[in-house]
Amino acid sequence: MNRRKLLGGLLVGASVPALAACGGGITSLKGDGGSGGSGGGSSAGGLVIGTANFTENQLLGYLYAEALRGAGVKASVRPNLGSREIVIPALQQGDIDLLPEYQGNLLLHFDDKAAQTEAGDLQNALTVALPSGLEALPYAAAEDKDVFCVTSGTARKYGLRSFTDLAARNGELVFGGPAEDKKRVVGLVGLKDRYGVTFKGFKALDASGPLVKGALKKGDVDVANLFSTDPDIEANNWVVLADPKALIPAQHIVPVVRAAKADAKVRKALARLGGALTTRELARLNKLVSNDKKDPDEVAADWAKDHGLAKR
Amino acid sequence: MIELLRDLVRWLTSGSQWSGPDGIATRLLEHLQYSLLATLVAAALALPVGLLIGHTGRGAFLAINLSGFGRALPTVGLVTLVFLASGLSMWPVYVSLVALAVPVIVTNTYAGMAAVDPEVRDAARGQGMRWYQVLFQVELPLALPLIMTGLRLACVQVVATATIAAYVSFGGLGRYVFDGLAQRDLVQVLGGAVLVAVLAIALDLALAEVQRLLFRNRPPRAHAH
Repeated sequence: MNRRKLLGGLLVGASVPALAACGGGITSLKGDGGSGGSGGGSSAGGLVIGTANFTENQLLGYLYAEALRGAGVKASVRPNLGSREIVIPALQQGDIDLLPEYQGNLLLHFDDKAAQTEAGDLQNALTVALPSGLEALPYAAAEDKDVFCVTSGTARKYGLRSFTDLAARNGELVFGGPAEDKKRVVGLVGLKDRYGVTFKGFKALDASGPLVKGALKKGDVDVANLFSTDPDIEANNWVVLADPKALIPAQHIVPVVRAAKADAKVRKALARLGGALTTRELARLNKLVSNDKKDPDEVAADWAKDHGLAKR
Repeated sequence: MIELLRDLVRWLTSGSQWSGPDGIATRLLEHLQYSLLATLVAAALALPVGLLIGHTGRGAFLAINLSGFGRALPTVGLVTLVFLASGLSMWPVYVSLVALAVPVIVTNTYAGMAAVDPEVRDAARGQGMRWYQVLFQVELPLALPLIMTGLRLACVQVVATATIAAYVSFGGLGRYVFDGLAQRDLVQVLGGAVLVAVLAIALDLALAEVQRLLFRNRPPRAHAH
């Protein structure tokens, strides 16, 4: 039984580099060699993992640490360092070696005019845009991006499955999200330009927080901008509307590493983790930490053990 | 810095910025409406309480501590709490603004009443005045300056805090602050903040003028001796 689980994990793990290759992923070609140091780096001294100042990112940092330790690489976590403006320079200066990041937002940090939205394109663009010495490793199945949700009742009543369906209900629905949504492409502007969607009204509330979720639950807004790893989406059976024209940039979790530290052990450990970690799993882990008040390092250790990634 | 100030002045003075449903004129009126209604409701609740405990001298400890508790409530927390209970409506805004204003009015009213010389009160009773005559003809006029100060303070606090209406998707001058922060538009944030400050100061001065007119026939200090 244990072996089957392990095998499953490996299979899923193998599909992620393949996915990246489909999208033209250059990085997945690197690190395929079996021997240590094929990427030119060495993990012999261990890796310091930095994380940004929010729960999910810390959780990811501890998951990275578990996966690396499972592959026999020493790893320590420095949690809660700060925003991207702080952790990226720390990575460049070598204060930290590895960072869990998000494709679309990371690319925008280095190239604020980037227009790519699909995962494979983003991965290529990241490889080009990252400063020398830094490297984006294959991305995870899990993704934390903006999603536009409706309740299952609203979906049924108006026949909503994707953004395209919203256009058939122009002027009937109320949109809720953070204030910036009114003027942002990933928001009302993009919905109008790309899908021809207009709303009856816009309510400026918060970003996947208690206000917008409360308003969606009560029916005060019909469509709400949430984050894909928000555990309340599944808990409430909310429907995530599909985005067939890829308006919203992909935000798959992507490990950014100092190239000097990235050897085959590191690459394989993180790719294997990325394959096992789905959006739904990440949402569940987020819930354990933020709602059930468990410690992120313990949650990460348990999960890694269950998925055959931890040290045996 | 200079450029920022120039942009700010342009933002504040451009005609297009003042008109329309998102214009300054609309936002200013909304802000005034929220603030004045909240202050009036708070006064209607707080004045009788303050007068009653001041007149009877009973329940002061409880009322003062309760209002101190009210003053310590974080307004944004209260807004969120009421929002989750009531849904998307003006209730969260008004409940939290009233909760902010009530303590100031209660404590100032009580302080005004407590400062009335007991001898004056006794003299009034000794002349055969009924309790309501003592309250309205003797105590209230003497306490009025402090009561007015309480109302003024409450009004200024409410005007400054009514920006939270924008936090739960409504209008008012807070719209500029919240939208500007979300859109990284510093000029809009500053413009909103300046307008709120100017409105608060203007209302304070206007109320001070009302106070002055009300009491212009009084001697400099309203002593009964």
